[in-house]
Amino acid sequence: MKITILDGNPEKDRTGFYRYLNELVTGLQSDKHQVKTLTLRDMEIKFCTGCWSCWWGPTPGECVFKDESHTLCREYINSDFVIFASPVILGFTSALLKKTQDKLIPLLHPYIELVQGECHHKKRYDRYPGIGLILDTNSDTDEEDITVTTDMFHRFALNLKTELAFSLLTDQPVAEVQDAINRI
Amino acid sequence: MRLTVFNGSPRGKQSNTKILMEHFSRGFTENTGNTVEVAYLNQTGETERYVELFKKAEHIILAFPLYTDAMPGIVKHFIEALTPAAGGKENPSIGFVIQSGFPEPIHSRFVARYMEKLAKRLGCPHTGTVIRGGVEGIQVQPPWMTRKLFRSFYRLGVGYAAAGRFNEEIIRKLTPRERMSFGRRLFFRLLNLTGLTNMFWNMKLKENNAFEKRFAHPFKEF
Repeated sequence: MKITILDGNPEKDRTGFYRYLNELVTGLQSDKHQVKTLTLRDMEIKFCTGCWSCWWGPTPGECVFKDESHTLCREYINSDFVIFASPVILGFTSALLKKTQDKLIPLLHPYIELVQGECHHKKRYDRYPGIGLILDTNSDTDEEDITVTTDMFHRFALNLKTELAFSLLTDQPVAEVQDAINRI
Repeated sequence: MRLTVFNGSPRGKQSNTKILMEHFSRGFTENTGNTVEVAYLNQTGETERYVELFKKAEHIILAFPLYTDAMPGIVKHFIEALTPAAGGKENPSIGFVIQSGFPEPIHSRFVARYMEKLAKRLGCPHTGTVIRGGVEGIQVQPPWMTRKLFRSFYRLGVGYAAAGRFNEEIIRKLTPRERMSFGRRLFFRLLNLTGLTNMFWNMKLKENNAFEKRFAHPFKEF
């Protein structure tokens, strides 16, 4: 599979997280996956301004700002699986990762359809990658934070035409992620 | 009472959030010496100043639109900047207004849980959470369609001035049901067949000479 890791860690010197992701990449490669990491803190991705040019033109399907969200969208939609990885900061994934999620909106269509009896956006592409979540806890993180964050990613997956395959913590071995992905 | 509104809409002063909060503020300041100050979180260069505003505030409302099933990136950016203020003993009270384009409140329930936990984490007494769906169209809808909604926000403001928190009865009326009723879903399906549900988007697409390109998938390599 083609796997993209979105590294949503804003702090360069968070060494445990860095080591975990390195180990994960090695593990996934040994399982014959093709892995690419996008280090979001090094990318120039502007905050979404809610202008909706990506939905109603002049540029349907892409952000009107020529930032690196174009690279992000290209890598995302052409992957079989995308891993969202982030430290838990004040009970949720980083602002860096959230900003990035907002910029995936061009991948959907503005038209609305009913999914599970609820309004959701229509597909723009024929297929969307599966997604998984990896969280790196801080000293103030508790179980409720993990549940709340995971539930929000289940909702995000529903809107992004996919399912959340797993939500795992970095204090668990990387083999857990490998197993979860290889079960797909 | 002194209220500080943090407007978390990426559209800032052009936002639907601003319109809703203006109706709220009109009620909040009516017949009282109450004041409202507004900070627009889309001005990300002002974050330091906004953190100071937070520390000095008496009552806070954080209002934002739902973005990809959570708070917009700029709102999380601001929350992270509040880290040093977390747990302060004199922290202001905080209430939340979460609005969405999707009509159903169910979409916003998850981030609402996060926000209520955040209030605890920051050491801010929680004054309630208002959820309202179907807000996207309010700037193009005729007045008869928005009158009741704006009136409710005005009344929320009056109630907040009196009780220091959102009125639960009005909150309930703003979210009559979690999902659309069977009848409304059926109606939506029929309307969808006629293409009428896409009318707003099609109008905008045509205005921008982009209607023919509306199904573009510029990043597809498979």
